[in-house]
Amino acid sequence: MISIAMMMTAKNKSHVCAADASRFLANYSAYLWGYGATCIRITKNVNRMAESLGYRADITILPKHVAVALTDETSGEYAHYTCSIKSLPISYLANTGMSKLSWDVAEGKVDIACAEKVMGRIFRTPLMSVWHVMCLVVLANAAFCRLFGGDPIAMAIVGFATLLGYSIKNICLKHGVDVRAMVLLSSFVSAIVGSAGYVFGITSTPEIALGTSVLYLIPGIPYINSVSDMIDGHYLCFFSRTMQAVVLTCCIASGLTLAFMIMNIKIF
Amino acid sequence: MEIFVKIIEDAVFAAIAAIGFSAISNPPKVAFKYCALIAAVGHALRYCLTTLWGMHLVWGSFISAFVIGCLAIYFAPKVKCPPETFAYPSLLPMIPGIYAYKSLQAFLMLLGRGSEEEFTHYAYLLQFNGLTCVLVVFAMVLGQMIPIFLFKRKSFSATRG
Repeated sequence: MISIAMMMTAKNKSHVCAADASRFLANYSAYLWGYGATCIRITKNVNRMAESLGYRADITILPKHVAVALTDETSGEYAHYTCSIKSLPISYLANTGMSKLSWDVAEGKVDIACAEKVMGRIFRTPLMSVWHVMCLVVLANAAFCRLFGGDPIAMAIVGFATLLGYSIKNICLKHGVDVRAMVLLSSFVSAIVGSAGYVFGITSTPEIALGTSVLYLIPGIPYINSVSDMIDGHYLCFFSRTMQAVVLTCCIASGLTLAFMIMNIKIF
Repeated sequence: MEIFVKIIEDAVFAAIAAIGFSAISNPPKVAFKYCALIAAVGHALRYCLTTLWGMHLVWGSFISAFVIGCLAIYFAPKVKCPPETFAYPSLLPMIPGIYAYKSLQAFLMLLGRGSEEEFTHYAYLLQFNGLTCVLVVFAMVLGQMIPIFLFKRKSFSATRG
């Protein structure tokens, strides 16, 4: 068993020099971060592949860049590659595909050249239809309203607010609008619609309708990832992810406040 | 019987919320049903702990999140997905959104008030709601992370083909 593993390692290594391997692994890390993986997953996957190629990997994950240094401890061969982190939508489908790929490389099922092609295929895999996602998010936010104690009319208001807000989000994404402006605008539109309960007095839970109408915008995954990074000791990444999420949360709050002011909701 | 219906209702709405919120993070299609199941169990458990047995929301969220993390690790190798694929979206319906909203509301009220009595009242509301929201979120995330870090080998080899 050990000799097979050694032969496999030797076979893989004979095909890949440290420079090529570090370039591939840095790119891999940058994509995996972009797809919403935690630092511990990136480190584990990269180490697994590097070990199978016969190198020791030292990974530096920074808020905007990833650097991978590979060292062959027997020959002393060394290579270092730094790559900018990709700005991609969070995708657990891609995350799963990338993790599978790391095992395939580690077990010698695919070589680096083939792995790069697979990575390209993962990158080109179409995401779920925008319309399907929108329908599911509308239902989810309405259900969320119910969980907080909203009545059926509040749920309907939240559903409609989410539909309009999410449509604005999609339009902004299509036109490459800044994410912060997009969140602010979507939050504002959703909150304006969400305030219908106050304006028309048609629900007994207008506060819940208004409060829930913007919750689909909360960056939940970055918050969760940041705590994972903190537990694993990646404090820079923890701080970076937390700040990104906090900025977006402030944008949501600003949109909500603007809606309060425009709709003259008596909270001042 | 009425309590049973309420628990089921809570579980069903949590499952719908989990499916919708997980769609935003583009999971594999096979993961949806597990997200729904795990979120339903987690949220219904929190409902039982906090509403029926009077446990504080922070502890209830922590225990429920821990169960969510354990279930995610159990299902991950069966579907060959990282446990985060199920665990994170299942956690989202437990986010204390209304506390966050009330904190913002109290903050805005605070800015608009002149008298000391009113200011103190809204400062109390801001601190109470804000602190509850932050602690619940932290307890949730920590509770769900513990199983992933405890069972590292299983968590990080789930996608092994």
